[in-house]
Amino acid sequence: MSDVHTAVAGEHTRHHAHHFESAEAEFDACKQGMWIFLVTEVLMIGGLFVGYTLFRGMNHDAFHEAHKMLNVKLGATNTVVLITSSVTMLLGVTSAQRGQRSKSMKYLIMTFLLACCFLVVKYFEYSAKFHHGLLPGGNFTNEELTNPRSSLFFSFYFLMTGVHAFHVVVGMGLMAWLMKRTANKDFGPDYYTPVELVGFYWHFVDLVWIYLFPLLYLVG
Amino acid sequence: MEQHPLQPKVKKHHHHIMPTKTALMIGGTLLFLTFVTVWVAGIDFGAWNFPIAMLVATVKASLVALFFMNLYYDSKENGVIFITSILFLAIFLTFTATDLFFRGDVYVKGSLAMAAPAGKSKFTKPWVSTPELIAHGKTIFLAQCTGCHGNEGKGDGAAAAALNPHPRNFTQQEGWKNGRKPSQIFKTLKEGIAGSAMASYATLPADDRWGLVHFVDSLGGPNAGDTNEDLVKVGVDPNKTESAEAPEEKTIPVEVAMKRMVEDGGYSEAKAGEESNVAPGNPELENYDKRLGRSFTPHL
Repeated sequence: MSDVHTAVAGEHTRHHAHHFESAEAEFDACKQGMWIFLVTEVLMIGGLFVGYTLFRGMNHDAFHEAHKMLNVKLGATNTVVLITSSVTMLLGVTSAQRGQRSKSMKYLIMTFLLACCFLVVKYFEYSAKFHHGLLPGGNFTNEELTNPRSSLFFSFYFLMTGVHAFHVVVGMGLMAWLMKRTANKDFGPDYYTPVELVGFYWHFVDLVWIYLFPLLYLVG
Repeated sequence: MEQHPLQPKVKKHHHHIMPTKTALMIGGTLLFLTFVTVWVAGIDFGAWNFPIAMLVATVKASLVALFFMNLYYDSKENGVIFITSILFLAIFLTFTATDLFFRGDVYVKGSLAMAAPAGKSKFTKPWVSTPELIAHGKTIFLAQCTGCHGNEGKGDGAAAAALNPHPRNFTQQEGWKNGRKPSQIFKTLKEGIAGSAMASYATLPADDRWGLVHFVDSLGGPNAGDTNEDLVKVGVDPNKTESAEAPEEKTIPVEVAMKRMVEDGGYSEAKAGEESNVAPGNPELENYDKRLGRSFTPHL
């Protein structure tokens, strides 16, 4: 696990771990590892999706009534924010691949700020729900929704968006780390594995939201 | 150079770097599709709302996975890994849904199949109608029958529209499959009606069934009444004072068993932290609760 980056002249300027034949093989292995991690993420978040879909099927009226309490405008805004952040992340990666360090840095900062923006919108949404007593399970105090199963919708809402928001926070940490390493000039056309793989993670967070938004806000 | 068999095949260095223009185009498409899905959600397609929203989401997700996450340019391996997870998710969803939505067709035996306590009859000669029995029957009717037969027994319950043949309208005199003497209604409750959604309710205690009979009977006009032979035909000894008949089958649908555990147990009344008050006086259900190590309220 040496992090020595030797600038040896030759085809590959970056030192790669000795059990890999080449830097390319190392990159492919890292990428495959990332995919396998993302598979575990699919299955974890998938459990929530399955639970939501089935309970929605069993309590359709309650869920439909409850989902109208969500603010579609804020949800759509956050979708736009997150998709835009995916694009800036991608541009951050391609800039790093092309060796355009300052450009890459700029895009990473933009992505980080868009992630902040997502969380700020989420904060306003959550406070509005708290304010109206739209809370999970026994904490539910809203009197507008009379169906006894309404609180179930909010259990799922907070759990699913909460798990997602947690991923956003982790992503922001990873981006801060990428910024630091970019500033350290760790990345270049020969080595950009962390940038690209954090990119994958970020796109996955976007991908999950792409399903969460219609499921929770639009069809309910 | 000879390739070592254990070494992964290494491709020549040609990592795909996406042109900025392509990235922006795909980003634009995703934003456009977001607009489309919000717009479409404003139109009511009834049952199609859900599939349409999921279809648009899947198109968006595919764009993200193929182009932002590089699967389109990548080795097939990573794509297969990812698709496999989606496949397992589909299996997860399908099997759980199958379990959940078809529980009504599955029957269980044993301690879970707690029919109501089969103790002594509370009513003397329950085959003879009394106001108490009719009132008793009404409570059972409201709990068990209104889904199809409607609150007033007019055959207009929520599920009625979907049923063919239609559920019986008890206020109508004509057309009763088994006839509408009390003993004949009792027979229907015991056996169900083949070829219709009317199931056998033989798992209900005889008192409950007789209560239902008299309540249903009270909805329509007068009928001929039972002779002793009619009663004997459905297993009643008219000379005895109580119905000796225990609930006949020890199997009930899983769904019913679960409902009983939740409802009979008063789960909805119990508060978290309190001692479980599941099915007081019902040792089998109490044990079931203990087996699960559960002493709190599952607030669903």
